Amino acid sequence: MRRFDIGDKLLAYLLFAAAVVLVTFFAFQHTLSSEWHLPGSPTLYLVGVAGAVLLCVSVVFVITKRTGVGGSPLGWFSAHVVTATLGGVLVSIHSGGFLRYAPALLLVALFALVILGVWARFRLSRRMSATFASRDESFSPLGSDNRARMAYLIQEKESLLSRLEPGANEGTFSPRLKHWFSRPGLTLAYARLIGRENKLLGMRAGVSPAQAYWRLIHIGLAFVFVLGMLGHVVTVTFFAGYVSGGGDIYWWHLTRW
Amino acid sequence: MGQLALMIDLERCFGCKSCEAACKQEHRLGPGEYRNKVVWLGDASTGAPDFLTLTCQHCERPACLRACPVYPKAITKDPDTGVVEVDEALCTGCGECVMACPYSAMGYDAKGHHSVKCDLCPDRREKGLEPACAEICPGFAISFGERETLLEKADEEGRHPRDHDHFLLKPQTVYLEKIERENGRAKQEDASRVYEKPSRPRFVDSPGANDVFEQKGPDFPYLHDKKTLKADRVVPGGCNFCFNCCTTKFHFQGDQLINVTGNEEDPVLNGKLCPKAQFTLQLHHNEHRLQYPLKRVGRRGEGEFERISWNQALDEITAKLEVLKEQWGPEALALFVGTRTGLITQKGYVRLFSQMWGTPNLQGTDPFCAAGKVVAYEVTHGINGNGNSYTPEDIGSAQMYLYIGDNQAETRPVYFGKVNDWRIKNKTRMVVVDPRYTATASKADKWLGIRPGTDMALGLAMAHHILSKGMHDQRFCDEWVLGWERWREFIFSKGYSPDWAEAITGISAEEIRALSEDVAKADGCVIFGSRGLNQHTNSVQTNRVMMFVAAITGNWGRKGGAYVNMTAGPPITVNAPENRRAEIQKPMVRRSPAGWLSAMRKGKPYPIKGLITCNNPLAQWPGQDESRAAFKALDLIVHIELFPNETSAFADYVLPAAGGIEKGELGRTNDDRRIVWIEKMIDPPGEAKPDGWIWIELGKRLGFGDVMKEEYKDPGKFWDEMCIDNDFLRGVTQKRLHSVPYRWVRFPVASEDAPEQETLYLEGTTATGQPEGKRFPTPSGRLEFWTGELEKKFAQVGLSALPEFYSEKENLSQLPYLEYGHEDDDLEIISPFSKVPTGSRTARIVQPDEESLGDELRRKGFETILITGRPPAPHFHSWTHYFWQAQEMWPDLYCQIHPHKAQELGIEDGVKLKVETMHGAIEAMAWVNAGIRKDSVYVPIGWGERQPYHPWRSVNFLTDFAQRDPVSDQTNMKSLLCRISKA
Repeated sequence: MRRFDIGDKLLAYLLFAAAVVLVTFFAFQHTLSSEWHLPGSPTLYLVGVAGAVLLCVSVVFVITKRTGVGGSPLGWFSAHVVTATLGGVLVSIHSGGFLRYAPALLLVALFALVILGVWARFRLSRRMSATFASRDESFSPLGSDNRARMAYLIQEKESLLSRLEPGANEGTFSPRLKHWFSRPGLTLAYARLIGRENKLLGMRAGVSPAQAYWRLIHIGLAFVFVLGMLGHVVTVTFFAGYVSGGGDIYWWHLTRW
Repeated sequence: MGQLALMIDLERCFGCKSCEAACKQEHRLGPGEYRNKVVWLGDASTGAPDFLTLTCQHCERPACLRACPVYPKAITKDPDTGVVEVDEALCTGCGECVMACPYSAMGYDAKGHHSVKCDLCPDRREKGLEPACAEICPGFAISFGERETLLEKADEEGRHPRDHDHFLLKPQTVYLEKIERENGRAKQEDASRVYEKPSRPRFVDSPGANDVFEQKGPDFPYLHDKKTLKADRVVPGGCNFCFNCCTTKFHFQGDQLINVTGNEEDPVLNGKLCPKAQFTLQLHHNEHRLQYPLKRVGRRGEGEFERISWNQALDEITAKLEVLKEQWGPEALALFVGTRTGLITQKGYVRLFSQMWGTPNLQGTDPFCAAGKVVAYEVTHGINGNGNSYTPEDIGSAQMYLYIGDNQAETRPVYFGKVNDWRIKNKTRMVVVDPRYTATASKADKWLGIRPGTDMALGLAMAHHILSKGMHDQRFCDEWVLGWERWREFIFSKGYSPDWAEAITGISAEEIRALSEDVAKADGCVIFGSRGLNQHTNSVQTNRVMMFVAAITGNWGRKGGAYVNMTAGPPITVNAPENRRAEIQKPMVRRSPAGWLSAMRKGKPYPIKGLITCNNPLAQWPGQDESRAAFKALDLIVHIELFPNETSAFADYVLPAAGGIEKGELGRTNDDRRIVWIEKMIDPPGEAKPDGWIWIELGKRLGFGDVMKEEYKDPGKFWDEMCIDNDFLRGVTQKRLHSVPYRWVRFPVASEDAPEQETLYLEGTTATGQPEGKRFPTPSGRLEFWTGELEKKFAQVGLSALPEFYSEKENLSQLPYLEYGHEDDDLEIISPFSKVPTGSRTARIVQPDEESLGDELRRKGFETILITGRPPAPHFHSWTHYFWQAQEMWPDLYCQIHPHKAQELGIEDGVKLKVETMHGAIEAMAWVNAGIRKDSVYVPIGWGERQPYHPWRSVNFLTDFAQRDPVSDQTNMKSLLCRISKA
C-alpha cells in the first residue's frame, strides 16, 4: 500500500508559508479595516470557526487511528499536520492580536503543540532511529528477579483479559477505544497492568526524557487545547455577557448570560 | 509451518558487519536506518568481545505490537510463521514500538518517519532463498529455518542457546553461546588486569557521525522503491577490494547495477562475502567519482583544476614526458602502481610501458605490505607463496591454527569464516599472537599479547625449545631442509631460549614452551603470518624464522600444515620483445618508493623528476611530511585514480580511471592461488577510462604502439596473448575461466586441460617448472635455511643467513636494532635479493646503550608504542572512505588505547586526542578499549584529509620513511614511539 506521508520538505514549506502569512497579516493589520481587528467581527468570527473546524481534523485523526474507521491512519496523520498548521494560522488571525485575554492561552498551547510536533518530526526522528541496538545489555545472561515479576504480571493480565476480551491472546492484545467505552473499569485496570509491564520492560527508561515523553505531552496538551477550545466556544456563545465584561456583544451568540 | 527464526552463533560471528550491508542492500535502507546491527557484548573478566548481530527477536509476546496505538495494528505477527512485520503504509511514525522493544531491535526511518524492522526477507523466502544476512554471512554465524530444526542442529553440535528472555516476551531468535574454553573463556594476556566490558566504540555511535549524510542521501539504489528494482540478468564476477578476492554476482536491471551478492556456485567461498564486496554497488554509483581528465591550475597541493579533454591531457603528458626524458634520462620517470589498478594493469600494461620507456623505477605497494615475506619465501622455498588451499582436506584438516601478526578476521574475513568454521567443527586449537586482542583473537583458545616487533624472538625461542626437546620432525629436516643443523647450533649458541625471549616478547617462558609443544605435537599446524610480521625492519628474518618453525615441525608441503603469509601472487610475465625494450642504464633507486624521496628532493643518487601514480601515495607512503615535500619537487605528476584524493591535489594531471566491472580485470592475488576473472559489464562514469586504455594511449603517443597494441585494450585478449605464457598460467585462459560459473582457476595449470592442484609440494611431486623429482623450487630442491650462497647474499647487506635477533630502534626496552650504512643518497650496493638491479642500503645490528634513540625518545615522553594497520573489515585503504555505508560503520580515524593508559592521561572514550611521534603529529578519536597491550596504541591506515565524509590526516604523518629492512626494503609501520595527549 502507498504511504501517504508528508515529507520533511513539504512540511518545511508549509510551515514557512504559514509563518509568512502570519507575519504579513500582523505587519499590515493596522492598514486593514476594523473587521480585521476584532475577533468577534463577522470576518474574524468566520475565520475562527474555519480554524476550529480544521483543528478538529486532529480529533478525527485520533479517533480513526484507534478505531480503523475512515481509512488510512497515515493519511489522517498527514491531514492532521496540514490542517493543524492551517487551523493554527486561522485561529491566530482570528485572535486579532488580542493576547492579554484568557483565550490567548489557547494560542500559547497551540503554538506549543506545533513546535513540539515539528521538533519531533525534524529532530526526534533521528534520536528514534539511533535507539536501534542501544540496549545490548538485554542480550546478556539474565537475572531471575525480573522474570518472576513479569510472570506474575502476565498471569494477572490473562485473568483480566478473559473478562475484558474473551478469547484474545494476551501476547498480542492491547485495549482499543471500544474497550474504553464498553468496559471502562476493566480497561482501566488492564491499562494499569500494562503500565506496570512497561516499567518492567524498561519502556521509555533507556531513552532521553524528551524522547520518552514528547508524545504523551503532545497528546495531553492537545487534550487541554481541545477542552479549552470547547470552553471558549461555549462561553462566547452562551456567556456572551460575561465575555464582553459589560461592553458591546458584537459577535454571534445564543444567550447573554 | 513452525516458527521461522534466525540462529546467530556468537562463536562464529566476528563482527565484520556483512549482515548489515546485506540488509541495507536488500531493503534499500539509507544511513541511520537499521534492521540489524552488530553490537559487542563481552565478558568483563577477560575483555573478550562477543560480537552479536542484534535484530528483531520475533517474540511470541511482541511488546512492539502491543505498543502500537494504530488499529488495525501497523505491526502484526504471522500466525503461521511467527514473523513479526510492520506495515509501513499504516505506521504513523509515533515511535512507541521503538521504545517498547527491550531489545532495541525496532528500527526507525528518520526520513520516511516510520518504523522499520527485520521481517526475515519475505520476498526472498518466496523464492526459496534465505534472508540476505544469513546467505551472505562469511562466518556461517547466521542460520535460518524453522526454530525447532535450528535448535536440533545446535544440539547436534553440542551448542547451547543463550537464555536472554529477561522479559518473558519469548524471543524466537536463537543466540548460541560461545564455546567454553578449557579454563573458562579465552584467556587474555593477564586476566587479572582486565577491566571494562568491551563495547561499541563511542565515536562510532556519536550522534554527529551520520550528520554528514544529511545534505544528500545515498546514491542509487539505496532508498529507492525496492519493488521497482528487479534484476533481468545476473553476471558472475569478483570483488577487487582486498586479498580475499571473493567471487560475486552482479545483478542488473537493464544497464543499471542494482545488487551485488555472493556467488553460491563457488565451491570454495560458497557465496559468502564481507561488506566491502557489497560496497561495489557504492563504487559504481558514486557521486564522488572522478569523471573527466583534469589539469592543475592552482599551486601544487591546492587541488585546483580545470577540465580538459583526453586528447589534450594525453598529448600534454606525452610532451612533458619527452622533455623529461631528454633532460634527465628515462630513469627520471618513476611509476607507482597500486593494487587498486588490478593485476593486469600492474603486471601487464605498466610493465610493458616501463620496459619500452626504459625506467627501472617501477613499483607497487609490496614494499609497504609484504616485500619481506616475498623475499623470505624466495630464499627459503624458491618462490613466493605457500602451496595450500582453503579446502576441508587441506587447511581445513589442520589440528592447530596459529596466527602471528595476522588479524585474518578483519583482513580476509571470508577465509577466516571458513577457518573458524573448521575450528569449531573439528575442535581445532587456535592461538593468536598479537599486541591487540583482535577479532581473530576473540575466537582463539589463547591470546598472547606480544610486544610489537619481537615476533622473531618468539619464533627463535619456539625453535630453541622444539629442537632442544627433540620434538622436531627429524625425517623431514634430514631429507628436505638444507642447513637446519647449522641453524640449530646457531640458536643454541646464542641462547635463544624461552627464558631469554620472555623479557623481550612479554610472553612468559612457560607460555612459549606450551605453544611450541602444541605446534610440534599437532598433526598439521597452519601458521598464519601477515603484516604484523612483515611491516618491520626485521621483516625477512622474522618471516624466515617462522618458516623455519613450520618446516622443522614438518608443516610444509603437506595438507593441513603450512606457513601462510598472505598472498600467493600469480607469476604474470608480460614482456616486450627484446629488441623493443629500451636499455635500462641505471639500477632502480630503491626497492621501496619510500627510498625514492631523496632522488625526488635532492636528485641523489640520480634525479627522479616525474611520477605516474595510480594509488594514493600521499596517504599511504610512510613519512608524509617528507613525501609531500618530495612530490612538490617533481616536474610532473600524473595521477590515475577513481576518486580525487590527497595525491590528486598534488598532481599536474588527474586522469579518471575505471574500476572492476567497468573495465574487465583479474581479481587480486589471494591466499589459495585462485585467479578470478572480473568481466567488463558496465561503462565507467563520465569519461573515465580503464587503466589499460590509458597506458596504451600513452604508449601509442610515445611510439610503443607496435607492442602496446590497440587490440590489447580488450583485457581478455591481452591476458590470453601476453600474460600467461609460462608453466604456471598457460592453462588459465579466458576459455577456461569462462567455463566455470564462478570464474576462477587455481594456478598452476600448465595447459587448458591440466587439473588444478589442491596442495603443492607434496612428497613425491615435482614443483611447477622444475626438473622431474624436484620437490621444492629452490636451487637445491630442498628448503634452504642456510647455504654458503645465502650467507654471501645476507652478508652483502650486513646480516647473516642465520637470523640473529634484532628489533626496532624506537622501542620501550633495550633491544638490539639496526644502524644503517648510508642513507638513500647513494645506491650503496646492488641488492642481491632483488630480481632487477636495485640499490640497497647496508646495515648492522647494534646492541642498545643509553644513548640509543629509544632512550632519548622515552626521556622526551614518547613512552607508548604506536602500531598502525588495517582498519576493520568494511574498510580497505582510501577508496572505501568514499562509500557512505563504510563511513557509517567506521566513521572517524581512531586511536585504540588501553583503559589504564587512558586513565593515566585523563582521556575519555570518544574524545579527540593527539598522537605525536618524532616524525609528525595527527589527531584521532579515542577508542578506550582493553583489547590492546597497555604500552601500545593502535591507529588504522586509510583515512585522508580530502575524503568527503570524515576527513582526517593520514596516520602516515607519524611513520618514518627511513626505517626499512635492508634485505627487502620493507618499512617499519608497526613499532614507533609516540606521545598521546588530549587534543
